[in-house]
Formats: sequence, C-alpha cells, structure tokens
Amino acid sequence: MAPKEDTMFRSADMSLTQLYISNEIGREIVNALGELGQIQFRDLNADVTAFQRTFTQEIRRLDNVERQLRYFHSQMDKAGIPLRKLDLDVDTLATPSATEIDELSDRSQSLEQRIASLNDSYETLKKREVELTEWRWVLREAGGFFDRAHGNVEEINRSSMEADDAPLLQDVEQNGQNGDAERSFSVMNIGFVAGVIPRERVAAFERILWRTLRGNLYMNQSEIPEPLVDPTNNEAVNKNVFVIFAHGKEIIAKIRKISESLGADLYSVDENSDLRRDQIHEVNTRLGELGSVLRNTKQTLDAELTQIARSLAAWMVIIKKEKAVYQTLNLFSYDHARKTLIAEAWCPTNSLPLIKSTLHDVNNRAGLSVPSIINEIKTNKTPPTYQKTNKFTEGFQTIINAYGTAKYQEVNPGLPTIVTFPFLFAVMFGDFGHGFLMVCAASAMIYWEKPLKKVRDELFGMAFYGRYIMLMMGIFSMYTGLIYNDVFSKSLSLFPSAWAWPDNFKAHDTVEAHLKSDYRYPFGLDWQWHGTENDLLFSNSYKMKLSIIMGWFHMTYSLCLSYINAKHFKTPIDIWGNFVPGMLFFQSIFGYLVFTIIYKWSIDWYAVGQSPPGLLNMLIYMFLSPGYVEEPLYSGQGPLQQILVLIALIQVPIMLLLKPLYLRWEHNKARAQGYRGIGETSRVSALDGDDDENTLDGRASMNSDGEGVAMITQNIGDDEEHEEFEFSEVMIHQVIHTIEFCLNCVSHTASYLRLWALSLAHQQLSVVLWTMTIAIGLGSSGPIGVALLVITFAAWFFLTIAVLVVMEGTSAMLHSLRLHWVEAMSKHFMGDGIPFEPFSFKQMLEDDEAAADIS
Amino acid sequence: MATGWAIIIGLIVVVLASVAAWFLSPKGETQTIWRSSLILSFASCYIMWAITFMAQWHPLIVPRRGDLRPEFAHEHKM
Repeated sequence: MAPKEDTMFRSADMSLTQLYISNEIGREIVNALGELGQIQFRDLNADVTAFQRTFTQEIRRLDNVERQLRYFHSQMDKAGIPLRKLDLDVDTLATPSATEIDELSDRSQSLEQRIASLNDSYETLKKREVELTEWRWVLREAGGFFDRAHGNVEEINRSSMEADDAPLLQDVEQNGQNGDAERSFSVMNIGFVAGVIPRERVAAFERILWRTLRGNLYMNQSEIPEPLVDPTNNEAVNKNVFVIFAHGKEIIAKIRKISESLGADLYSVDENSDLRRDQIHEVNTRLGELGSVLRNTKQTLDAELTQIARSLAAWMVIIKKEKAVYQTLNLFSYDHARKTLIAEAWCPTNSLPLIKSTLHDVNNRAGLSVPSIINEIKTNKTPPTYQKTNKFTEGFQTIINAYGTAKYQEVNPGLPTIVTFPFLFAVMFGDFGHGFLMVCAASAMIYWEKPLKKVRDELFGMAFYGRYIMLMMGIFSMYTGLIYNDVFSKSLSLFPSAWAWPDNFKAHDTVEAHLKSDYRYPFGLDWQWHGTENDLLFSNSYKMKLSIIMGWFHMTYSLCLSYINAKHFKTPIDIWGNFVPGMLFFQSIFGYLVFTIIYKWSIDWYAVGQSPPGLLNMLIYMFLSPGYVEEPLYSGQGPLQQILVLIALIQVPIMLLLKPLYLRWEHNKARAQGYRGIGETSRVSALDGDDDENTLDGRASMNSDGEGVAMITQNIGDDEEHEEFEFSEVMIHQVIHTIEFCLNCVSHTASYLRLWALSLAHQQLSVVLWTMTIAIGLGSSGPIGVALLVITFAAWFFLTIAVLVVMEGTSAMLHSLRLHWVEAMSKHFMGDGIPFEPFSFKQMLEDDEAAADIS
Repeated sequence: MATGWAIIIGLIVVVLASVAAWFLSPKGETQTIWRSSLILSFASCYIMWAITFMAQWHPLIVPRRGDLRPEFAHEHKM
C-alpha cells in the first residue's frame, strides 16, 4: 500500500521504527537526523538515572565548554563588545567532526585561561590605579588641611589637655591666621590619619569617632568631585577625603582601627609641604605609567574578545547541537557485545524514505562496511499526533493545539478554523474601515516578514505570530463591513436604495419611507436605514437571527465532523449511538428554529394579511404545550411540531443506552468465544527485560526473523491502552455525554448570540466615537473649524486604532476563540493525543532562551 | 416574489465557484488547505449575504426619521 499524502485534514501517518546504528557513527547519524528534524526518539533507558547513562561524560565536558562560552559572552557584555550574530536561516554550519569538537573544547579551555589571567591582571592594575588616584586626592586635599590645622595647633592641644569633652570643631576659619603655623606637628605630639572613605559612611564615621574619642580630635574632610570606580564590581562610588588630627599615639591607633573597620582606605601623607609635593609628583608619574600598562592590557583583552566575538555565536550553536546529540544518544540502548546502538523512534511514514537515505549517506561517508538498519515495527501503541503546518496554517493550528492535542488521525479542526475563526470574528467586528486597517497592519507584517522576525518584543511577537490570522480576519471584516454597510460607522451607497421618502412633508415631521417597487437592495444592509430612528430595532432583529443561523451552521458542520471520525476509526456504534440521535435532536429543535426564521422572512405578511408570529414564543410553546399554536406560521404547524418534539425526546434514551448496551453485548460475545484482550494476561516483547542477557536473546531471535515480522514493542501493559471493559464506567461516561449534549444544544445556540451583542456594541461604539470627535470638528467653520478638525481627526484616528481596532478586536477574537473551543469543538473533538516532538536542531535553537540573543 | 430568485442564483454562483475552487486549487501539499478554505469562505460569505438579503425581503418595519428636511430629502433618494 503506497502511503497516502499527508494533508492538514488529519495528523500524519506515523511509524514506529527501530534503528540499528554502528557505535562509531552514532554521533554523525544523530546529527544528520537532528538536521532533518523528522524523528522522535523514545527513551529506552527510562529506568537508568541520568548519571548512569552511556554518554554522561561527554555531556559534562560539553557543559563545561558551554559555561566557558557563556563566560566569554558575559566578558564581552562587560567590555561592551558586540557579538556578531548568527542568522540561522541564512548561515548553515557544516556538521563538525568529533575532532573539531575536541579542538573547539581545547581552544575554549586555553582561551578561558588567557581571558581569566588578562582579566585578573587588569583588575589588579585597576585596583592599583584607584589606590593611586585616591592617594593623589588625599595628598592634594591634605595640603589645605595642614595649612588650616597649623593654625589650630594651640586649640587642639588645649582642648585635649584641659577638657575631655570640650568641642573641637570650633570656628576654624577665624583662627586660620595664627602666626606659629610653621611649627611641626610632631614636635607637639600631634599625630594624624589621612584617608578616603565612601561618602555615605561619613556621618557614621564622624559619630563613632566623636563618641569613642570623646571629641579629642580634629577632623577635616572634603568631597572628591568625581566618583571612583570599584574595579571588582564596576560600581561608581562617591568618596570623601579626610584627615584627622589627634593627640597621642594610642588615640591615633584607635582612629586607624575605626577607620579601617569602616572601610576607609588610609594613605601616608607627609606633613611637610615640600615632601608632599614630591610625593604628588611621584604618584603622578606612577599613575601615568600604570595608565599606559592598563591601556595595553585592556587593548589585548579587547582584541582577544573581539576575536572571540566573531565566532562565538557559531561555537555556541555547535556546542548546543553537540550536547543535544549526546542527550539523544543517551536515550539509545547500547549493545556492548555487538558495538551497536539500538534506538526506537516515531517518524512520519512519509519521511521514512528520506530518513533511510540520510542514514545511507552518513554510512557511505563514514565508509563503514556495517550498514545502519532502520526497521519499521508494528505496534499497538498510540502514535504521536503530528500536524504538519506551514507559516500560513501555523497560527490557526496553534489555536487548536492550545485547547488540546488531537487524537492520532482524528479530523483536525485546524483546517476549517482557517476560515471559521476569522469569519466569526468578522461577524462581530464587521466594519469595512476597521477591517481595512487590520489588513494593512497584517500585510505590512507579512511584507516585512524577514526583518520583523528578529524583533523580540513579547506583545509584538504575538501579533506577528498571528499575522496570517490577522490578514484573514481583516479580509472577512471588510466583507462583513460591506454587508453591515458600516465604514467607520458611516454607510456606503453603492446601489440605489429600495426605500423612498415621501415627497411632501414639513420639517421636523416624523416621516416613514416606503418601498419603491419589487426591487430590493442587492448587497448588504440598505443604506437608508442608516441614521433612522428605528435603525436599531431593525438591525437588532436582523443580527440576532443572523447569529442564530450562523451558530446553527457552525454547530451542524462541527457535528458532521464527528461522523467522519466515527467512520475513520471504524466505530459504527458512534454513528448510530451518538451522531445520528444527536443530529436528530439538534435539528428537530434548532434546525426547525432556523427553518421558521427563514420561512418567516420569505412570506410577505402584509400581502397575506396576517400578523407575523413571534418565533421565540412559538419555540417556547412548542415544548410547554406541544400541538398548541397561538399564531400560526403555516398550516399543519401544530402536528408537525408535536412530531418534532417527539423525535427529539426519543433521541435521549437512544443516545443514553444504545452505545453502552452495544459495547457490553460485543464484549460478552467476544468473551464467550474465548478471546482476550492483548496484554491482558501475557506480553510479547522484542526489547523486554531489564538485563543484558535477556535483551541479547530477544534481539538474536528478532534478527533471524528478518523484516516484516509482526513485532510488539516493550511495555505494552504499562500504557493502559487496553483497559478492562467496565460496563458501569461506560455507562457513566455516556450519561454525562448525553446530558451534556442535550443541555449544550440549548446553551450553545444561545451562546452564539454573542455575535449579535458584540457586533452591536462595536457598531454603536464607532458611532459614538464619530459623533464625539470628528462630528464636532466638522460642525464648526472658519480657521477655528480647521484647527478643530485637525485635532478631532487626530483624536478620532488614534482612538479608532487603540479602542476600536486593538481593544475591540482583541475582545472579538477571544469570543471567536471561545466559540471554537467550546461550541464547535465539543461536538466532535476527542483530543487525547500525544504531541509529536521531533528531535530537531532548528526547533531546539528556537526554543532555547539563551540562543535568542546570539541569533 | 421575483426577487426571491436572487437567493437561488446566488447559490448557483457559489456552488459553481466552489466546484471551480475544488478543481483549480494548486496541486501539492497545500491542495487540501486551498480547497477547504476557498469553499468554506464562499459558503460563509454566501450565507451571510443571503441572510441579509432575506431579512430585507419582506420588511415588517419601515425606516422612520424625524430629522429630514424637505429641501434635502432628494439627497436621500437615489
């Protein structure tokens, strides 16, 4: 049987395959398959912890390389060197060989050492520089202090001799002119401490000194105008220079201790101004030398980093891929005796030839005599669900996948969603102008797809991801806008109206239009309704009925999909026990309602001379008093309605009982004939067993059997796919289903009224916006009118985009989403599938957060 | 009653368009998507149009307004 082409209608056919790969080329093969991205490996070592797996060593080594690369990246960030980004769509990296990986790892090792040592020396030098700068500031500032302090010598002495608690810091300036300024401090036994302290600590520092020394000190300080950069953490700190004079060695020692404990750096300063000048000179030369050394180091470091920056992105990608390869290899089981790797994997049946040829290619390139073998194996496992998408369908499929993964090979609701989702949106959003704005936005995003793809803004990313949904929504909104005859809340008069106003009337009279002839407005709503007093009365009735009919179509369509599902899975009981009774129930109530709506429209009630009956009351009385018709719609209505109610009521027990009873009967029949469920008592397995010997035996026998022999893979019983038949469970399930279905028919139909409510709200909101902005601007004339118009137009345009398109659009979208997830998908969607997650480098790099900033 | 034929004619046009969409859809992987989307779009648009047309077919209420001035009434005739 030739495999049929995969379409979006169902998930792709999947095959479980077994791969036998020679150990030497395992890495290359997995690499090639990762580039292909079409195969999902199963974990054959589920009972082995991560540390005991075969390739843990390699992964550790690669982890280390990855850490080194991240270190380079952080160093580049620190130095402000831009990383040359890698466009994964354009640049393809050749698959590296194992030796290249080794080289890369060695290289990054040596580079790390070099960068680290450069960094270290740079930091030391920088520290030295900061120290020197601080010292220079101290020397510079200290000069002034000493000059002033000389004037205060007397006072310092006196106060410390006489009164311990006398304040020291008295008016310094006044005593500045004292004559014996040149006397040395040492002569008078006055010592001093000079240093630098962070500014925020100054207050605490002063207070502590004051308290511990009881005021026996003379402190001078001044702010360093420029912040000093701490090389260890690159933070700029504001600091103050201080010089403290005090009397006595012990006190000086105390001051030293206190300052050091508070994080001050102390520097030696000479009191002699000549010596100080020399010191400053020396410090300046040293700073100069240090500066040039620093510049050199920095240059070397930057050059090194720039060199790395050129290829870092590629290295990161290579290492990430390599790591993923080894992680995948860890899923394989390794046959020590034969030196082969054995893997089990799901892949789309249609990709099998491609995978086979890939294996063959890699084998040939390696020049290995032992071929790699890929075997399709038969299994009763549920294959994963793989919905192939392209960039157009991706967004729509995501809407469905967000709700649940479809069962393997069930009808994919993503296909009709391409139209129904934007269309139901448009029914709510119907406005030609707003739809046009949306089309423009979507088209722009599609036209500049490539450059916009790189924008990493979360909100924009979401809109960009749904650009094709937006395009469809916009197109359909333009259509429904034409139908509703709304363009920014104004109307278009494309065709002559069917209504005419009377010829003679007085101003301010309420006049009524009349139909011109048999002619009816051919497309959409007649523009003569626009702005009339009973406009809402008409459009409400119209839109309400529109939403009911739309809902009926949508739900009937979805219900039909359940028929296709039952047909595909060959469960006729689902057709006769669920689909047919459900359909009859739904149609005999709501199908009939839709019929009466259309019937009522098609009758010219004035010509017939009857009063048109209310349909809502008719539906209510149809159930409250079957057979009784208050206002007849057509002859024979009473009996027909009785029959319909009867049909609907009969469906309930059928739906409730038929399927469970049938299943029970089928089960009992099979039992009576002596059949048992697979996996119920015994297991057959090719890869069964926990120890090596068992595995070997199994494989040996398998190999001799050759291809095409039915094989059943391991752990069948564990997956609970063949549950014991339990009547009570089936019954409960069916009771819930029946009650849900019947009640939901009512509530879901009512739920579609949101189409009416939202489209009404949208239309009224745009009318209000128009009258409150532009209408004001158009109302006045002259230069003020012109200015007013410009202002009101800007306000109108901005609010149209922000409120009517973005906000209202989001709300209509959410409502449309709900109509799909709840109202439509509950009619057919089974959704207990397992998503297909192929081993793909592309996917892996897209998902990787860290990879986001290198590409 | 004559206008009622518009619904039938519209239906025929949409059915023809759908048949054309079925056969003219580009071959290949996306054929199913083309077919389904085109036909569903035609059907949805037709339903919407037909409902709107029928709602105005035999109107039960007529447009009524009090802000009309005799001198401008001709603007509302076309």
